[in-house]
Amino acid sequence: MQMKSFISVNKRLPFFCFTLVTIAGLLFFSSTRAGESEKLTIYVVNYPLQYFAERIAGEHAAVVFPAPADVDPAYWMPGPKKISDYQRADLILLNGANYAKWVNKVSLPRFRMVNTSAAFKDRYIEAAEILTHSHGGEGEHAHEALAFTTWVDFSLAAEQAKAIEKALSRKKPALKDTFQRNYEELERQLHKLDRDIKKVVSKDRSRPLVVSHPVYDYFARRYELNIKSVHWEPDEIPTTEQMLKLHSILKDHPAKWMIWEGESIKESVERLKAIGMQSVVFDPCGNEPDQGDFMSVMRQNVENIKEAFR
Amino acid sequence: MLRIWLFMFDTFYIAWRYVSFNKIKTATLVACVTLISFLPLSLQLLLEESERQLMSRAVSTPLVVGAKGSSLDLVMNTLYFDDEVPELITVAASNSVMDSDLALPIPVYARFQARGNPIVGTTLDYFDFRGLRIAQGRQLAVLGDCVLGAKVADSLDLEPGDSLVSSPETLFDLAGVYPLKMKVVGVLEKSHTSDDLAVFVDLKTAWVIQGLGHGHEDVTKLRDPTLVLKRTEKNVAATAKLYHHTEITEKNIDSFHFHGDLAQYPITAVIALPHDDKSGTILRGRYLSREETQQIVRPEDVIDGLLQNIFRIKNVLDAVISVVALATILAIILVFALSLRLRQREIQTIFKLGCRRATIARLLAAEISIIVVMSGVFCGAMVFLVNQFSNDLVRMLFIR
Repeated sequence: MQMKSFISVNKRLPFFCFTLVTIAGLLFFSSTRAGESEKLTIYVVNYPLQYFAERIAGEHAAVVFPAPADVDPAYWMPGPKKISDYQRADLILLNGANYAKWVNKVSLPRFRMVNTSAAFKDRYIEAAEILTHSHGGEGEHAHEALAFTTWVDFSLAAEQAKAIEKALSRKKPALKDTFQRNYEELERQLHKLDRDIKKVVSKDRSRPLVVSHPVYDYFARRYELNIKSVHWEPDEIPTTEQMLKLHSILKDHPAKWMIWEGESIKESVERLKAIGMQSVVFDPCGNEPDQGDFMSVMRQNVENIKEAFR
Repeated sequence: MLRIWLFMFDTFYIAWRYVSFNKIKTATLVACVTLISFLPLSLQLLLEESERQLMSRAVSTPLVVGAKGSSLDLVMNTLYFDDEVPELITVAASNSVMDSDLALPIPVYARFQARGNPIVGTTLDYFDFRGLRIAQGRQLAVLGDCVLGAKVADSLDLEPGDSLVSSPETLFDLAGVYPLKMKVVGVLEKSHTSDDLAVFVDLKTAWVIQGLGHGHEDVTKLRDPTLVLKRTEKNVAATAKLYHHTEITEKNIDSFHFHGDLAQYPITAVIALPHDDKSGTILRGRYLSREETQQIVRPEDVIDGLLQNIFRIKNVLDAVISVVALATILAIILVFALSLRLRQREIQTIFKLGCRRATIARLLAAEISIIVVMSGVFCGAMVFLVNQFSNDLVRMLFIR
């Protein structure tokens, strides 16, 4: 009886071992697979970078842009919880050109930060309209003076997208081809936008224009536009002082069009019409739009700007 | 067998009675033998521990970039936050390492102090590199935050939520940098390294301590003419009268800023983490040029050289201790010999009582054994204590 049970156990043993090994192997490979397919967590400082990262990384990354929708991301300051989230990200995509002022006031892991405009930092524009300060007779001025909406120059936007693709490929070399492919598709679209704008403005580059905010420096440089800037908010009626400032600009710069960064209120449009100026919107799209995405907003911007160059 | 044991017991009993009767003589002899045994053993222990501590930290740090000069000062300041601050380099050195694509850089700025403890300005990557974990509170987040090493928190009795003020570099520069009141946000787990004794801040906070970064009211909106030196269309220059915030709070953090190019801001060193051995070799090669103002060192080599010197000194110390030990032993022998002469009558009495010479010799040997054993016990206890606290003793005596 004992011998019988011993023999039956003995017979089952190889099968049992085989089952164990198979299960262990499956568990091992599934964990390996899980490691490979694990999504990257990417935190960004503005919406264009979010859009580029999502286009390039696709399903391989979770891209997070935590700034509230009603806040200008360039001047937003995250709280300790959000900073902690940024610290834990696999990649932190920065715009550069001193865009997110808060970055210089927080602690972030340097190894995981990517300045997407580092490749063209020699082409940063010092914002002429910003009043800087210094200390003493020979002190250096503080760096609030850089223009930072680099992505409205679509050639620079493509370079920023390239920087994102490189960073992603370094993080996940196995997916380099996928990222490269996605980047090339995005680059094609950005270059098309670039060509479309050039075609529109080529009709009359010297046409004087006024922009509602000093956020079009890179746009003006790329497309060789003749612009002057005021500081008007789309949701506020211009004050008397602001109107006077506009009048003094128009004396030497007889613009017929005001380019707004968002839909302006009716009163502002009427006031401009009264002095012979039309309004058109070119949304820099620094934050997530209510409708559509970066590409659809920019395509609409191209259509809008055609009005100013008819 | 039982007879031998009983005999031995009797011998030791008589020896013990003699030794305990002559307390002062016994205590003196025990103290001499204990010290002579303890000194070389404890020195060996401390040196082994210091070698272990110095080497483990050095081995775990692949490369350090700093200004040309004393490589020892550079390594001691970067790894052990020594008071001797090496010549400064700039953040450009760190950027250069990053751009080389051969290594990842961790800038370190270990220059200032807070109540006798070194303030180490660095990036979050330092914590990952050293495997430092937060035991209480949270990690650095904003300007003005500081995270304490475990021993600093204990010695200063600080915990998350408390404040710590940086110490001025010199008391003679009254118009110079104001101390910064930092917010303690976290305490690290004990790591049994120099990191336990440091106050960690973000690199930018270290620059604020130095005065390179600061916060103040908006200069462009100043109305007090004594605060404005010069006003042009593009720039407003403020006078030295303008008050700078000495504490960074939620209300004033937006006003904090830096002037000039951050790449030119000072640091004391860059810890370089090469991707592999080949990258490390290539990187080291880039600093060989005579015109190069910076050096790159392997801390392991520098500390190894230091330890060679220490062990040379140790050999001298060993020789000295040996001579002293020999003199002490001779003195002890002299004491025993004199003691025998003084005990002549006593020995004669024992002899007349029927003890053989061998028994008398055994009695004397038993007395010596008791003294040696007692010394051994004391020496062992002291060596055990030194071993238990060797980590702290080495840090106190040799490293900081």
